[in-house]
Amino acid sequence: MGMALQLLFTGLGLGSIYALVALGFVLIYRATNVVNFAQGDFAMLGAFSMVVLCVDLELPYWLGILITLAAMLVFGALFNSAVYYPLRNRGFQPVIISTIGASILLENGVLAAYGPRPQTLPGFFSFPGFNVGPIFFDSQYLLILGVTVVMVTLQYFFFERTLLGKKMQATSQDKEMASLLGIPVALMIMLTFMYSSALGALAGILVAPILFVSVGMGSSIALKAFAASIIGGFGDVTGAIVGGLALGVVETFGAAYISVPYKDAFAFIVLVLFLLFRPQGLFGEKVAEKA
Amino acid sequence: MLKRMIYQKVALAGLTVMLTCFGRAAEPLKIGIVAPLTGPAAEQGRDKIQGAKLAAEEVNKAGGVLGRPIELVIEDDQTTNPGSVLAFSKLAGDKNIPAFLGPTFSTQIHAIAPDIQRLGKPVMIGGTDPQLTHMGNPWLFRFRPNDVYSARVIADYGVNTLGKRKWAIVHSTDAFGTSGMKNVVEDLKGMGVEPALVQSYTSNSQDFTPVVLAVKQSGADVMATYMTLGVDQAIFARQLRQLGVNIAWVGSPTTVQTTALKLAGPALFGCYAAADFNADSSPAAKEFAAKFEATYKSAPDFHGAWPYDAIHVLALAIDNAKSLEPQKICEAILSVKGYPGAEGTYNFDHNGDGLHSYNVVKNDNGKIVFIKHIDFSE
Amino acid sequence: MSGVVSSEAHKPATERRTNHGRGFLIVLIAAITVVVPLLLPLTAYDLNLSMQAATYAVAVVGLTIVLGYTGQINLAQAAFFGLGAYSVALGTVSFGLPFWLALFAGIAIASIAGVVLGLTSLRLGGHYLAMVTISFQQILTLVLTNWILLTRGPDGIWGIARPIVFGFSFADGGTYLALCVGALWMVGFCVERLKHSKLGRAMQAVRDNELAAGVVGVDTYRTKVIAFTLCALLGGLGGGLFAGGFTYISPDQFSFAESVVFLTMALLGGVRSPFGTTLGAALLILLPEWLRFLKTTYLAVYGGAVILLMVFMPEGIWGLLETLRKQVWPPAVLPVGRVAPLPLITWVGRETDSAILEINHLSKHFGGLKAVDEVELSVRRNTVHALVGPNGSGKTTLLNVLSGIYKPAKGRLLFDGQDVTGLLPHERAKRGIGRTFQTVRLFTSMSVLENIIVGAERPGNEVAAGSTGVEQHALAALDFVRLTELREQTVQSLSYGHQRLAEIARALAGNPKLLLLDEPGAGLNTVEKGELVQLLKRLKVHGLTVLVIDHDMNLVEQVADRITVLNFGRRIADGPPAEVLRNPEVMAAYLGNVKTHGAP
Repeated sequence: MGMALQLLFTGLGLGSIYALVALGFVLIYRATNVVNFAQGDFAMLGAFSMVVLCVDLELPYWLGILITLAAMLVFGALFNSAVYYPLRNRGFQPVIISTIGASILLENGVLAAYGPRPQTLPGFFSFPGFNVGPIFFDSQYLLILGVTVVMVTLQYFFFERTLLGKKMQATSQDKEMASLLGIPVALMIMLTFMYSSALGALAGILVAPILFVSVGMGSSIALKAFAASIIGGFGDVTGAIVGGLALGVVETFGAAYISVPYKDAFAFIVLVLFLLFRPQGLFGEKVAEKA
Repeated sequence: MLKRMIYQKVALAGLTVMLTCFGRAAEPLKIGIVAPLTGPAAEQGRDKIQGAKLAAEEVNKAGGVLGRPIELVIEDDQTTNPGSVLAFSKLAGDKNIPAFLGPTFSTQIHAIAPDIQRLGKPVMIGGTDPQLTHMGNPWLFRFRPNDVYSARVIADYGVNTLGKRKWAIVHSTDAFGTSGMKNVVEDLKGMGVEPALVQSYTSNSQDFTPVVLAVKQSGADVMATYMTLGVDQAIFARQLRQLGVNIAWVGSPTTVQTTALKLAGPALFGCYAAADFNADSSPAAKEFAAKFEATYKSAPDFHGAWPYDAIHVLALAIDNAKSLEPQKICEAILSVKGYPGAEGTYNFDHNGDGLHSYNVVKNDNGKIVFIKHIDFSE
Repeated sequence: MSGVVSSEAHKPATERRTNHGRGFLIVLIAAITVVVPLLLPLTAYDLNLSMQAATYAVAVVGLTIVLGYTGQINLAQAAFFGLGAYSVALGTVSFGLPFWLALFAGIAIASIAGVVLGLTSLRLGGHYLAMVTISFQQILTLVLTNWILLTRGPDGIWGIARPIVFGFSFADGGTYLALCVGALWMVGFCVERLKHSKLGRAMQAVRDNELAAGVVGVDTYRTKVIAFTLCALLGGLGGGLFAGGFTYISPDQFSFAESVVFLTMALLGGVRSPFGTTLGAALLILLPEWLRFLKTTYLAVYGGAVILLMVFMPEGIWGLLETLRKQVWPPAVLPVGRVAPLPLITWVGRETDSAILEINHLSKHFGGLKAVDEVELSVRRNTVHALVGPNGSGKTTLLNVLSGIYKPAKGRLLFDGQDVTGLLPHERAKRGIGRTFQTVRLFTSMSVLENIIVGAERPGNEVAAGSTGVEQHALAALDFVRLTELREQTVQSLSYGHQRLAEIARALAGNPKLLLLDEPGAGLNTVEKGELVQLLKRLKVHGLTVLVIDHDMNLVEQVADRITVLNFGRRIADGPPAEVLRNPEVMAAYLGNVKTHGAP
């Protein structure tokens, strides 16, 4: 029983990392109808930025976070202009390839600039965690879970209750209509990329103390996060969160009770089952084509 | 006027002759190196090149090989098998390269083995899969003790010195991890010990909770590990400690590899490892470590040590052979006996294995302490 | 010139000569590339690089079929590649089979996997299908890595033997390369021919407009499954040859990252042509090698180059070359000569009482909305029947139920005496229902004539077999709507009115027993509408049975024999035009509450 609870906690912790990255996917997908294969690399950039600022330059932690997030907002705008915007009318395949190219560029650019050694980033809390009975609660995992809850709530309020948020929603649902209503679509999309970029960076900052900082850290999370967002219901924010958490738990339990080496397979088997029997995921809407 | 012209011509001719002689004498001797400059093992690639460069500079300062300075020609293998094949075949196309430093990873060496066979020139390797020197390829020379020995050392130390008989073995599913595990299991069986748990995992796992819990459940009092990547090693160590597992740990050389130590910090304190390279294991090792540290400002591990040895031994062998012919170089390498390298004392056997010993070391609060040296040379 | 026109000969004479000349040139180049490695002593490096390029290219050409022609994303190509490679490796090393047998087994296994993957496309498309393929890929990589008993795990398999044919050994690098290049050329040639075949057209129809393809008679599901199977087959072939080439394989060579590489190669080179994809494969293998001099930054530069290529060359490099070629060498269009008149199915003479279409108690709900509510309708043979009603009255929904795009909640459809309520769109097309759409759904990447040909190729169409007959028939349909001169144009260059006519021609080419026209007048100007009315009158003269939906009463009045009126999903009137148009309920539906002023 103790083992199961421990697995559950770890699974949820891992799952919330997937959830945060999945959020970023979903936002960009809703706005542009395109999957961003470089989403994981936003996390990687965020983590590396923290290493440079807080470890190399020894700035205080909170300052490092502020600067990183600000920088990633700018980066998101750049990314939009260089990678998405020129291809925005070409259908989703060229954009997918372009984002793949961006991913290769980012990973190897950082490799060339910073060197190949993985880095550590200290956790946000100085204490590693605490025990409740036989279960160990890693403080960083707790932080991740907490931040995820906060982000989701904030995001809900932003999109549902503020005018800017509603404009962005409108853009993501129907670009043409939004444009006709006077909403600056290109700007909305740029904002979406900026926000997703910062969100991705946040995920990277949170996860770095656990997984360590290396150039490949993002891509391995990204694929599973993408799968999680589909399980949750592609295009749905709640779905991304639930999908991510569910995936983390399924993976951890599968590894413990079935087979560790095939751990990654469970995620994809679950995904295939969903795709075959319930493609709209847990929360998504059935999409019908108008004849 | 005429005299001056003749003088000038003679002077010019003389100068040309002198320059040509010096030119030929100074023509560098190229050694090819296949190393990961990009990909997941880029950090190990950098260590490799640093070790080789250090050795090359020393050799050149001492007059070079056959009077010629060594020049390292490096090709990126991208840490992939096709990348290794392409990198090696690119180097192989240069007829002026008489010998090579091959990959450190066993799977990559397997990939280029057919091309090495076809080329017929000596290649120094750092992979520890025992099969590499037992598959009938006479051109491979191994500069690290293979995993038959590391497994023997781990099993021996754990059972006989630490007195532990309930074993958990954690290994990565790749060639290195699997063969290491097999060897440990065999050695344990030979001592009458059946392992309580054999747990594999795929490299680049981000979470080791299931593995840790499995170890905990098994009730083992000692753990052997064969983990390929330093990052995996560190995450595993951390989670192990978080979940309260503090059993004895005797691991493969990765356990004391620089990256793993830096990332895991206190989580790896107290564990033992079979390490082919340790700075305190011999005077030669100490010297190498000091030089490496002074030049590159970081402590070396086996990734830099074996290429260092390889370049030195190769230089020695070519000088002894007094020729660049592949067959003669091979014979010269095989004749190397008692060479004090950073990795250990080299006595090449007929298979091409240069080392048959391992060090046992302990992580004593972050400092890697040398415990003893176990030699299996016949 | 008589009306006998063959599919080759209908091309203009100049283009025919150019085609023959081009064909000869291509065969010559092919022969040279095969012979060169046999004669020239290439370095191991060049051989390895070329072998990788050639075998990868074979796999990437598979993507031309599934992605380029059929428009389905496949991110599992490395898995099929791996299946082929492992079959050859295990076959020759573990089971001692001869190379060809192992290769054949590999191709078979990969193809079966392709069928399975294709079957999942029943209800999925776009990103979802992509995810299924990714999952399949990931699972296969894990199995290859961890099922050590069978696959030897991460150690990989070495010592793979190369084939021996009648004592002639392919062990030499140059000879084996020649084999790979030869295989590549054959594959490329076959795939290029596929584009201009019936199956190829069906695939392109699915890509351009899957809905319309089904309605026009293409079995879209089967087409997709075939596409995946062929793609997997080529992947397996490439993988098998790859294994023989490198003589050592390991699981990490067949991972998701490789699938991404294959896809990138296809898109960069130009996914719609096997030449394009081959070019992409070669380029992406050579590019990192050319950039080696940049040492550590070359992969970063490579990533940047990919983005730039995508931005500035959307159709891939081959697409760019094709566009240039068309500008330099524009193909001329030969006049086609007299064409036999279109043999439409008719019951000329009298209006019969037998109904060709009977709709009983039909209902279709969307959640709580009753879009179609207990509608009864009967269309008699040899009549033009109009279905009218204000916007939102359920006309198009009803038509979609008729086509098989929607399933009714209740009710029965009888066509030509048979119950068709449960049939798929292409099955109804087979029975003889033809249709056009409210917004024109032509196959945008094909020419006007090719669109019509797809219509003519509907299963069950009694057309003279062979490409000649089909082409003749298509030309006849085109002639009927008076669009013959525009046959070689791309669909997008036509005016909207002409596009509409082309869509009608496509439906006519299928010899429909019943033609459904959904708002044919929508989007047309007055002149075009006039032309449309003339066309409808001519159809009527020929005795074709037509069900027209429109809300332009003017148009309907001129052609309809009978009108049915819907409002809020219910039928409110049905009868001859004069009667229906005076019906007060009808007038109220259209104009709101009409207070009758003046005398009744």
